[in-house]
Amino acid sequence: MPSFEKRAWLSLWSQCPPYIVYFLIQGLMPTVFTTFLERIACLAVVASVHAIAYLVGLALMKRQERGEPLLLDERDRAIDGRATRIAYFVLLTGMIVVGVVMPFTDTGWKITNTALFAIVLAETVRDVLIVTGYRGKARLAH
Amino acid sequence: MPTEPLTNEVRLLRFLAQDMTQAELGQRVGLTRQTIAAIEQGRYSPSLEVAFRIADVFGKRLEEVFHWNPGATAKTADAK
Repeated sequence: MPSFEKRAWLSLWSQCPPYIVYFLIQGLMPTVFTTFLERIACLAVVASVHAIAYLVGLALMKRQERGEPLLLDERDRAIDGRATRIAYFVLLTGMIVVGVVMPFTDTGWKITNTALFAIVLAETVRDVLIVTGYRGKARLAH
Repeated sequence: MPTEPLTNEVRLLRFLAQDMTQAELGQRVGLTRQTIAAIEQGRYSPSLEVAFRIADVFGKRLEEVFHWNPGATAKTADAK
């Protein structure tokens, strides 16, 4: 498996589980964390779990690669470029909803969580497109 | 009639070049082994520069290595 694809898998597996739990708690059990400090602590724990899982995975991956630098060829860059471009539009749409629409319809943590959701969704879309770029049957042209 | 718009003889030429490995060819043209495999399987169309480099490794002209099939209608995920 190419190193770049491995990193996309790592990013997916380190990011999705903690944020799925976070959004489920925020969406289905809004009374569990009510004060600002409780909510920010919950977010901090989720972000920390994500960061630790990613860094530990990256360290293990680098040890497995024996410290060799990540070399990307033109196919890797083409897959990355396509995934990043589409993820950018997902993020752009999310930011328009959060910054242009929601200030007139919602307040506080709903806006914060929607912004966070847009960021996580954009990153997830990028990782999924990188993985499918390597595994998909469609022909990728430079 | 081929279903891919761009086909190639890279696998055959590797075999004829004393069974050159994908990794070795990749190293000589600046690509990873996985990208050479993707080119051989028709899942990736390389840039013109890389196509010339591959042809040069085998001492062939570009059109002897890569073939353009205008009638083919393969699904393409364009990178640009």
